Amino acid sequence: MARSPALAFLFEDNSARLAAVPPVPVWDLGVRVFHGLLILAVSVCAATGFIASRDWLGLHLLGGEIVIGLVVFRLVWGQSGSTYARFSTFHASWAAISAHVHEIARGERRPHLGHNPVGAAMVLALLVFLAGLVGTGVWALGGVLKQGPLAFLASYTSGLTARSIHNLLAIGILALVGLHLAGVAFESLRVRQNLTRSMITGRKPGPDDEAEPRHSARPLRALLAMALVAGLVVPGTVALSARPGLGVPAGATDPAYARECGACHFAYPASLATQAVWHSLMNGLDAHFGENASLDAAQTASIASYLDLNAAEHFDTLASHSFRLMNPGDPMRLTASPGWTRLHRSIAESVFTTRAVGGKGACNACHQDGATGRFDPQRISIPKEALN
Amino acid sequence: MTRFVILLPVLLAAAAAQAAPGPAQQAELDAYTGMAKAADPNFGGFSAARGQALFLATSKTARPDTPSCTTCHTTDPTKVGRTRAGKEIGPMALSAKPDRYSVMADTEKWFARNCDSVLMRACTPMEKGDFITFMTGQ
Repeated sequence: MARSPALAFLFEDNSARLAAVPPVPVWDLGVRVFHGLLILAVSVCAATGFIASRDWLGLHLLGGEIVIGLVVFRLVWGQSGSTYARFSTFHASWAAISAHVHEIARGERRPHLGHNPVGAAMVLALLVFLAGLVGTGVWALGGVLKQGPLAFLASYTSGLTARSIHNLLAIGILALVGLHLAGVAFESLRVRQNLTRSMITGRKPGPDDEAEPRHSARPLRALLAMALVAGLVVPGTVALSARPGLGVPAGATDPAYARECGACHFAYPASLATQAVWHSLMNGLDAHFGENASLDAAQTASIASYLDLNAAEHFDTLASHSFRLMNPGDPMRLTASPGWTRLHRSIAESVFTTRAVGGKGACNACHQDGATGRFDPQRISIPKEALN
Repeated sequence: MTRFVILLPVLLAAAAAQAAPGPAQQAELDAYTGMAKAADPNFGGFSAARGQALFLATSKTARPDTPSCTTCHTTDPTKVGRTRAGKEIGPMALSAKPDRYSVMADTEKWFARNCDSVLMRACTPMEKGDFITFMTGQ
């Protein structure tokens, strides 16, 4: 079998030569701690995003906050870290990448103490993807769930688009991580160095690269820059998050509606159903899901008007968008709609029949904030008795 | 003390047995007496036994989901019931829920709805009076 020069390294033994060269410091503490924490935070985000249900949203958001904090740190450290942490030592131009690929093809083995051009491009791509993931995640969170700093601005439909992009970027980052690991494995074999261990110990076999200008780490400058960014971003985020969400019900529930309808069942927030559904319901109270629930004419008219003015069409929450389409076979029952079925697909049928829940229509048995019409995923708490 | 604890259920049972309509409940009963007499000049007073029978009966004309009062209220009027939508209903017995049968408009609203659901017709003044007489004695 003919051996390609690019793969010749696989068949050589130069360990004796490398062992003779004393190791030099390459990855400073900032880079190594950043790398370790990033692995942790991205793993948490991936696990809670790809595998766990929306019950784990809180942890996913925490992971995302840590990721963006780390990305900002890395951008700062790229200006103030030691030599190989600095972006000025990232030679990721097309020309450099092309030259590097040609070197590999020719079987040459010029040492790179820092990132080689392809590795540097990978680091930058990972940072860009991570920033994009956090950005689209925050937009989706604001638009779909009306939470976070963009809740006041992002519409539901724009949030859905952001979520789609977020999902694509998430698959993209998995691919990048895969390529990154493959690249590290390839390069480790090619140069006969354990690059993974170098990222832990911070050292690589020498000699030092004299062509690269020396830089000392400037931790104080980095700390100041981080404090400046945090001082602007954290209070800004808190202030924006406190603003009322776009199209989130804020008015008080009509007391007559709460009293009369709430006498027999959970007083469904008016924003859950469309005007057409409320209209049909209020015109058929004498045959209301199998029972007579009639009210006198004045009360019927006043409650009907409240429901009409606060129906789903007036709002932009996930809940107000989920039941626009009703089941033609049971056109007034929210729990028979395709949207309700989809949102509750992971809940066992037996949960709803338990006494602690009391039926599919008892939203507030599990949704602690059901009465507000928000239905935040973090506020779901299925009664323990219902899970046995 | 021990003697009192032993006596407590006896005392409670005695109190329940002696439960009687208060002024508000009596006003409703008087109103239904007037209506019953208007409907039938030979009306001879309400009967707790007829009220109990009405409460426990299974209707032949009911809507399918509500064959009896007891479907939602359970057979024990001193216990909480539950609507088909899963919401608790306070006990029907006056002893267990002292504000029962005290607001005529509410009483009429629920008779209008529930008689229609269970019997598919309106209840007569006599049936309403019998029912309240039974429940105020519970």
